[in-house]
Amino acid sequence: MAVFDTPQEAFGVLRPVCVQLTQAQTPENVARLQARLAAVGAAALQELQEYVLFPLRFALRAPGPRRERLAQSAVRCVSAVLAATRVRRPELLRELLSELSTCLPAPGGSGKPAPQAEELTLAAIEALHTLLHSAHGDVVLSLYQPATLPLLGFAVSSLLGLAEHEKAKQIKISALKCLQVLVLQCDCQEHRHLDADEAQQCGDLFASFLPGISITLSRVITGDIKQGHKPTVSAIRLFYLIVGLVMADAQLARVPKSREKLPAEQSRISELMVHRGPDWSKSTAEKLLLLLRKIVEFCSVHPHWKVRLELVELVQHLLQNCSQSLVDSFSHLLKALVGLVNDENPEVQKRCQEVLQGMAEQGMVAQNRALADVLSENLHSLATALPRLINAQDDTGKVSTLSLLLGYLKLLGPKVNIVLNSMSHLQRLSKALMQVLELDVTDVKIVEDRGGGSASPCGPVGSLARRSQRKYFRFFTEEKVFQLLQQVCRVLGYYGNLYLLVDHFTGLYSESGVYRKQAAMVLNELLAGAAGVGVDVLQEREVSPNVDDLKGTITSILDEYTDQANWYLVTSIDPEEISHERSVQHSKFTAHPGGACSSVLLPSPEPPTTTRTMNSNIWQICIQLEGIGCFATVLGREFRLLLLSALYPVLEKAGDKTLLISETALGTLADICEACGYDSVQSLINENSDYLVNGISLNLRQLTHQLHASQVLDTMLRHSDASLLPLVDDVIQDVLAALDQSYNHQAPAFLKVLHSVTAALDEVLPCAKLDPNSSDTEGEAPLPSHAQLAKDTMERCIHLLSDGHLRVRLQALDVLELCVTVLHPHGNHLLPLAHRAWPALVTRLISDDPLAVLRAFKVLCTLAQWCGDFLRQRFSRDVLPTLTSSLRSQAPASARAGPIYSHTLAFKLQLAVLQGLGALCQRLDMGESDLNKVADACLIYLSAKQPMKLQEAAQSVFLHLMHMDPDSTWLLLSEICCPCRYRPPHASLRPVQLPGMGRQRDEFTDNVLGLLERLRQQESTEPRAGAHRDPPP
Amino acid sequence: MALPPPDPQFVLRGTSAAVHTLHFSCGGQEPDVPILFSGSENGFIHVWNLKTHRVDVALDGHGRKSVYCVQTMGGKDRLLSQGRDQRICTWDLAEGRTSVTDSVFTENVGFCRCSLLKVAQGRWLMAMAAKATDEVQVLELPSKTSVCTLKPEVGAKLGMPMCLKLWQLSCGSQPLLLAGYEDGSVVLWNLSMGKALSQLVCHQEPVMSFDFDSEKAKGISGSSEKVLSIWSLDEQQNLQVYKTHKLVNAGISDITIRPDKKILATAGWDHRLRIFGWKKLKPLAVLDYHTATVHCVSFSDHKNPSERLLAAGSKDHRISIWSIYSQT
Repeated sequence: MAVFDTPQEAFGVLRPVCVQLTQAQTPENVARLQARLAAVGAAALQELQEYVLFPLRFALRAPGPRRERLAQSAVRCVSAVLAATRVRRPELLRELLSELSTCLPAPGGSGKPAPQAEELTLAAIEALHTLLHSAHGDVVLSLYQPATLPLLGFAVSSLLGLAEHEKAKQIKISALKCLQVLVLQCDCQEHRHLDADEAQQCGDLFASFLPGISITLSRVITGDIKQGHKPTVSAIRLFYLIVGLVMADAQLARVPKSREKLPAEQSRISELMVHRGPDWSKSTAEKLLLLLRKIVEFCSVHPHWKVRLELVELVQHLLQNCSQSLVDSFSHLLKALVGLVNDENPEVQKRCQEVLQGMAEQGMVAQNRALADVLSENLHSLATALPRLINAQDDTGKVSTLSLLLGYLKLLGPKVNIVLNSMSHLQRLSKALMQVLELDVTDVKIVEDRGGGSASPCGPVGSLARRSQRKYFRFFTEEKVFQLLQQVCRVLGYYGNLYLLVDHFTGLYSESGVYRKQAAMVLNELLAGAAGVGVDVLQEREVSPNVDDLKGTITSILDEYTDQANWYLVTSIDPEEISHERSVQHSKFTAHPGGACSSVLLPSPEPPTTTRTMNSNIWQICIQLEGIGCFATVLGREFRLLLLSALYPVLEKAGDKTLLISETALGTLADICEACGYDSVQSLINENSDYLVNGISLNLRQLTHQLHASQVLDTMLRHSDASLLPLVDDVIQDVLAALDQSYNHQAPAFLKVLHSVTAALDEVLPCAKLDPNSSDTEGEAPLPSHAQLAKDTMERCIHLLSDGHLRVRLQALDVLELCVTVLHPHGNHLLPLAHRAWPALVTRLISDDPLAVLRAFKVLCTLAQWCGDFLRQRFSRDVLPTLTSSLRSQAPASARAGPIYSHTLAFKLQLAVLQGLGALCQRLDMGESDLNKVADACLIYLSAKQPMKLQEAAQSVFLHLMHMDPDSTWLLLSEICCPCRYRPPHASLRPVQLPGMGRQRDEFTDNVLGLLERLRQQESTEPRAGAHRDPPP
Repeated sequence: MALPPPDPQFVLRGTSAAVHTLHFSCGGQEPDVPILFSGSENGFIHVWNLKTHRVDVALDGHGRKSVYCVQTMGGKDRLLSQGRDQRICTWDLAEGRTSVTDSVFTENVGFCRCSLLKVAQGRWLMAMAAKATDEVQVLELPSKTSVCTLKPEVGAKLGMPMCLKLWQLSCGSQPLLLAGYEDGSVVLWNLSMGKALSQLVCHQEPVMSFDFDSEKAKGISGSSEKVLSIWSLDEQQNLQVYKTHKLVNAGISDITIRPDKKILATAGWDHRLRIFGWKKLKPLAVLDYHTATVHCVSFSDHKNPSERLLAAGSKDHRISIWSIYSQT
């Protein structure tokens, strides 16, 4: 809307109001002038700048008590003029600065500004701000001469006073902004960049203000939190800008040794000037150290994230510009920076990360020994305090403490070796890690969870998503804490001298049971870090360790882990296992839980096997297993070469009875598969069966290791299929030979293996049957290898059928059954064996624990399937009488029994016998008298008083009998109950009279009728040749 | 109390036939892996990688007839093998090749292992049992020219040669041949004159194997009897019985003195290996692992003593590897 574009027109318009204002200085006249100004173009106004300013300045200078309203409007008007024009005369600039400064409340004696209307103050600050922006380049620079020092000083101190004491937030912020412009650090882009000389000159000048500015600003920063974050943020910004300028390394380096002589007329001024020599900078740095510490402490925990973000900027700026002059403060600055890496605010986090990244990339630490020293000093004191902090802090505190530790390590980067090379540093650090990583070993469940050994075969590799077992630590529960510790170790491994570290922690590992688990954890992570697996760093290391070095290191750790004393630990009170582990350990010390508090000094000769000890041992094994998995990941396919020594121990543990151990071992196997490029555990086992077989064969030679060897074979078979058999054929003979030598000790373990073996053989069977020369030529042809194996196995089982321990007998029966199945195509071999097994089997059937009877009956049924002729006589002579009599004698008991009866062994036995007897009789093609015995014994179970399941089972017996001899069965049943009358076909014949006719309905009626109905159906669907009996109605 | 005898360090499985001969080749520089060659009854020569303990390659060159002698000529890339197909083959194994480069038809039906002696760079002498039952023929390799044929005097009745060893006192000196015969005697032959220098009856039964230590001028031989015979060679090149050593079980199929001449190992029909001190024949260990006759025993030539090994091959198809250096 600029209407008046030429100076002449503008002059015409403005002159009357200017004159009016000069004559009568009232706010209204000022307002009138300002109103006209709006209509004047910028170029025209520039011409008339001083003319217009004159009455306004005059109004401000008006003698007498200040009329605030007038001053306020005049200042606003000046501001408006300046905003539209440029100040081109240095003198004008100086004068305006001085005049506007006086409009600020004068700093009082105590530094507190005299009271003044907020509007005026704000207007004056804004006018100053505008003034400094309207002056350009050289004009502005003319202000920064020693001669103007008093003038600047006045403005600075007035603004500082406002920033510190003013209550109004707006004024505070404006004052700080204005100050920022005044010290030539304005954020906006309009200003000319100072060259080095000019900056140096300004630096000299501002050095005089530094004490005042820095102290006041630090007070503002650490002032009442209620002032809000904006003033704090501005103050922080101003603080680092001015400090960064005055204390800049680049400037201080250029300061001449001795002070320059100023012209004589300026001698008074020169007294105000500061010479930034070494002494000055040193003492200033000391003072700044105190302020910075205060600021860092206050701001790093400031509730507002923008304050924390600004703190990051402060650190960044000072590190960038003053890394030498303020080196002593870096301890605090870096602490703040590193600590904020894990700030809850993502922006702070991000910026912090960027700054750290930038530092690392510029090699600030790597090239600055002093910084590295500061960091390593920080690290040392943190490591010293770490155990105490971890003990005392809550999990959040622990997270920040550990973040700090991690940050220092990351920042140190390759320089971390300075720390590691100092024995005391390394000791502190490692001991701290040992204490922090102490596991909680009080959980009884870990020890109680058993059954791992017989766990079902694991699925495909991918299903083992959970890679490591969740651990419980004594001093923290938060997973994040553990992750940080993990990163700490990995970063150490990434940058640190691997030999040194591994050597040190292996030392701790073998030094005492107190540290063993933690040291193993650290070693695992170190290796992962060394290989760059899962490690998050700021800068790449210069040299990565080569594969051979890693392999060498890993091999030595593996040897340590799988050493007998560290691998075979007592993990259960199962006497069967414990005796072995004990004897394996001999005199070697056992792992001893208890952590820092337990006395390491007192030697405990043979610690009692407590739950804690076992829990601790279990964890140690698990950590070592995880380590092996981790090493595999580190080496990738190269790990294949180590399978020779590593696979066997892992498989040993995969068959462990403690659930946690076997699960961990399976995880390790999955890791190995992935690393070495096997697509399943099965192919891992099959392709390395030679290594495993070798281990098994050699370990079988030693009594103490036989159990483990058999476990390994068992695990192999469990996780593989029949394709493994040819590969392990050789070693199964070894197992049998070993079994022959130690029936007493190891029978259960060996039987377990034999069970797995025969189960696998059973799988082979279908394939073997296709082999033409395997079966029919019975006898003369050599037995195929799998059958030979079954035969050898069966021979052993026969011996064990009469073992003193029930468990062994049961196992032997199971294996026997499988052997029978495998051997059935080779009758010439099976029958002699069956003959030999018979007496022992009979004893199991007629006078053993009900459990054994149950299984023996199952074996009998299987045997009957393949050698009926052989069994018929023997069964009817040796077994049947006992079976039927026991069925009869038990019947009254089950008829009376309540619902709980079905959980008893007696019931299960009755059920099994009834369920199996029918089929057995049919298979054995039993004679009539035997069938009658069976029918008699089973008849009572058709009673409705018997439990339902027994009734059903008894029915099944009769269904079988019906197939074998329908007539006599019909007769037998009809004697119990006969629903209808039979008319003789010819009148001359006597009427049919059956005992069951016309009977009252009783307990047998329902079942018998049902069976007769089934019989009728059967007869009608398959009519018999030559039968001429009256069909049942 | 004596330490219990050690277990094998490793057992190599997979020849699927009785193992008749073993030969180490571990002398190569680093990237080369130590190797063990084994020859077995099914005619295969297996090349075992001693780092992975697996067969690198199986060589089939004797028509599936038993291979009873395998030796290297220089490095691991040139191999010589002898089989029951009456052939002695030389192999080129460099750069993964597996080809027979040359072969000699021995026309001998026995199972006397041939003996190699390097006489100059790229020149070897090879002694082998010849077509006539009691003769030994010496050829020069690789030219295959006959150097001499060693015939016993008429009426000597030595029977077939059973085992041979070519040797020389020092490099460049006259090569000599020691031969063990079916009648139990050991004969020292001069090759250039083609004449027996000395004969000693060591055993009542055929000499199954012997080894000779040219530094101490002492040898040891075994037969199907329960005795080891130790004999020496004096300045006049006369063979003399030095002493005999009684064994618990009869039958020795192989004897090898360790290259450092400190101990020796025997392979027994009783399934066992026995280790003796060479100086006084002090029994040091009985290594019990195999489940059938042990056919051959061999020491490795690894540069690093701690990695040197002992290997034994048996009728039970297995090759046992033992580390006994640390203990002796």
